[in-house]
Formats: sequence, structure tokens, C-alpha cells
Amino acid sequence: MSTSPHLTAPSNTKENEVQTVLVVDDEPTARIALAARLKRLGYRVIEAVDGKSGLSALRRERPDLTILDWVMPEIDGPSFCEQVRQDHELRTSQILMMTSNDQPEQIAEGLARGADDFLSKAASKYEIMARVQSGMRAASLIRRLEDVTEEIRRKQATLERELQSAARYVESLLPAPGIVLPGIQMVHAYRPSLGLGGDLFNIISWGEGVLGLYLLDASGHGVSSALRSAALSTFLRRGNLLRHVGSTDPGAILTEANKQFPLTEDGNYFTIVFARLDIRARTLSYATAGHNGAFLQRSSGDFCWMAQPNLPLGFDGSTIYVTTDLTIAPGDRLYLLSDGLYEVPDQNSELWGQDRLEETIRQFGCRPLTDVVSGAIAEAIRWQGHEQFPDDVALMGIEVTDRVV
Amino acid sequence: MAMQVKERPVPNGVVLELTGDLTYANREQFKTAVEAVRQKGCRHLILNMSDVRFVDSSGLGLLALVSQNFKLSQGKVSMLKPQSYVREIMSLANIQKLIPVYDNEQEALTGHQRAA
Repeated sequence: MSTSPHLTAPSNTKENEVQTVLVVDDEPTARIALAARLKRLGYRVIEAVDGKSGLSALRRERPDLTILDWVMPEIDGPSFCEQVRQDHELRTSQILMMTSNDQPEQIAEGLARGADDFLSKAASKYEIMARVQSGMRAASLIRRLEDVTEEIRRKQATLERELQSAARYVESLLPAPGIVLPGIQMVHAYRPSLGLGGDLFNIISWGEGVLGLYLLDASGHGVSSALRSAALSTFLRRGNLLRHVGSTDPGAILTEANKQFPLTEDGNYFTIVFARLDIRARTLSYATAGHNGAFLQRSSGDFCWMAQPNLPLGFDGSTIYVTTDLTIAPGDRLYLLSDGLYEVPDQNSELWGQDRLEETIRQFGCRPLTDVVSGAIAEAIRWQGHEQFPDDVALMGIEVTDRVV
Repeated sequence: MAMQVKERPVPNGVVLELTGDLTYANREQFKTAVEAVRQKGCRHLILNMSDVRFVDSSGLGLLALVSQNFKLSQGKVSMLKPQSYVREIMSLANIQKLIPVYDNEQEALTGHQRAA
């Protein structure tokens, strides 16, 4: 055995793991000699007497390196390589091809047809071993890459399952559509951009024909905005509001929410519209914080955008949000929505915009509310040319039906 | 579009010349540049917005955050020459209540002196 320091042990072995070499050669003397030499160096060696049994050994044993003779009956070396490279499971195998015909054109052909390296049968044992070690290094790197890829894939799958579970929770917070109060019908659409959204809306029953309604939009997307939205929607529960705000007044509620939800250290915040619908007094009171997506469509067809130029929540803790009152009549429809619905670009980056949204809804006339809500979403999708919205989309439509006493 | 930030000292303050979009993608760059100015003890930050084409919702949050942070260190933030689209976005969220907007640098500077 040589005393050369380069040849005393296989390099790049995984700890306590013997690396395996598959030797495929129909010529017994050469095969046995090479196998013996590799065994002396500490490798585990598998021998195959032709290309066909070599391929099945490769599939069965998944060796770290395959040393392959060029000239063999039936499946020769280059054909062996081609089959390996076309096989999804085997394609990353490391192959060292040996031949006594080491003309440059032949080397090029061998590499082109899928060998990783090339070795002359006339090479010294030092060169042979050095090339085996080099092949082993490449094999270890590829294996590590495959392991890491598999690990990432598994973690990604776990994360996606968790996100889906969180998304189902967020959707469970949304109100059920239908008759939410005698005389008030509600329909909604919810399309988070990443499975888990930062938009939320809900209905609060204040009792005695009075309903609270809100739609909030957390800046940013994904997990952190969904968590912040869930936190704000917990704050906006009936019992909590009565305890901490002691009022059903939208302005008072937003003034308190603004104190409770300051800007995050990344500058994240909420915009929100909060409304109070009193069906007996026929009034709609509302306050907004940086939120422009709310309008009333009168039964006459007139549109009234409920825009107040106010700071979003968290921008200034001393802000007092003020309530605005409107009268309502049977047949009026209230729409609360997030800007993700109309800030959708077409192919030329032109945004759909509030005006086109208004026009779309106007064209539906007095068709049922369900048709209008689904039709507005469909029209936004048609504008952008695909189903996937760039931002979270929420749309809640409320109709004061004419059955109110 | 990426953002470029150039710093220019003026009497009693610093002007940050911003070029590009003030958006989620550029938030770290903007925060780092502003924080560096604040750490140096700057009391009046003037954001020159004349070459900023677009501010998204993250950008609005950053502007509010910067204004709050300067207030905490007894400083203030002003804004110079926002383009009409940016001006519209900011007025919908009432940002000028937190960050006064000026049409020229001299007014921004004297606005500060009057306030001080």
C-alpha cells in the first residue's frame, strides 16, 4: 500500500459511513483488480459484469460513485450514462468512465453523453485514486444538496399546513352571510392574497335593531398582518367594546382602538371603517381611520363615498376620530371594502380604481346583492387578467331591505 | 423601482434627497438612511420627495414611524415637493397633519425656525 498522504483514506466520507463504489466492467481481470484496490482504500465495492446489471445495481444500491468501462456488450458506457441522465431517480449519480481509447474526441463524446469525469486505463494508480476521491467529493456535495432540498421541502410542507390551519381560523372569524338582523341582508367576499390575509370584517349586534359593522385592513401581508388583524378583531368584540369604550359610537371606538394599537416597530398599522346602523332610527353613523373603501348606494342610484381624510390607526395616539351621520332608507346598500379590490393593475399597470368599481356596481342596478358582490370581484379579476389578487381583498355588502317596519 | 438616498446638510438640519419608490421593497434602505441621520443628532429632517413616484401603504407607515421617532428625540420631519400622485395618497391618510409639506426648501427651513 502506498504511503502517499493523498491516498490513505477516502476523502469527504460522512462520519462513520463507508462510501460505496460500483464498478461496471465486463472484463474480469481489470474489474477485480480495481475492486481490490478500492477495497484496500476503505471503500465498499459492488461489481457488475455488464451495463444491464450495472443499471440495476445502481438503482438498488445507490452507490456514491460508479466507475464504468466504455466498451461493453449491449449497453456500452456512453449508453449507460445516457440512460442514467434520463432517469429522474438516478440522474445525479456520479460517473467516472474508463477506457483505453483516450483520444480528445472520445473524451468529449463521453462527457457530452453524461459521464462526469474521464479516466484512461493507462492512468497511474495515483491518478485513478485522485479521480475517485474527486468524484466522491462531488457525490458528497450532491447528496448534501439533495438532503438539504428534501429538508426544505418537508419544512415548507409543514409551514404550509400550519398556514392553512391559521387561514381556516381567520376565515372562521368572518360573519355568516344572510339576514343578519330583521331588515338587513349581508353578503361578502374574501380573497386573501397569500392564503392568510390581513383584511377582516365583522358584524356586532348592539341589540334593539342596531348593528355595528367594520372592515379593517392591516398593512403588509401574510402571517404578521393576519395576527395583528385577529388581535384588533378581538378588541372589537361586543363585550370588550362595551367594557373598554362604553359606547357604540364609531368615532369613540376608533379613538380608543387608536390608543390600543400603536404603530409597530416596522411601521405597520391598520386602516379601518367602523359603522353603526340603526334600522329603527334609519341612520348610518360611521368613522374611518385612513380607510377609503366604504360607500353608500342609495336606492335612487346615487353614490355616497364615506371618505374622511383621517390618519390610520397608530399614526398619532392623540387623534380623536369623529362620527359622521347619514340617513338611510329601504333599498339603500352599504359597501365596505379593502383597497385590494380596486387597486389591481391591468397589463399596462393601470389601476382598476374606485371610479370603475363604482361604475361596475352602478351597472348592476337593483340586481340581487349576491350578484353585485360576486360580479364586482369577477370584474376586478377580468381587469387584472388573472385570479390571483396582489393584495388581500375583502368586500362586504349590506342591504336595508324594504321589509323593515 | 429601487430607491436612492442622498444626504445633504443644511443649517439646523439634513435634507434627504430620495429617488425611486417609497415602498415595502425599499423599506430597509429608507429606515437605515433616516436612522443614521437621527443618530447623528439631527433635529430637522427634510425629505425631498420630488423624485419619488410612488408611496405604498408600507411607505405611509414608515413616514409615520419616522415622524414619531424624531418627535421622541425632540426633532421634526418636513416634506418637500411631493409629486401630485404621492401628495394625493398622503392627503387621503392625512399625513400632512404629522409631516408638514413645503414647496421649497427655504420655506421648510423657516417653518422649522418659526416652530423652534
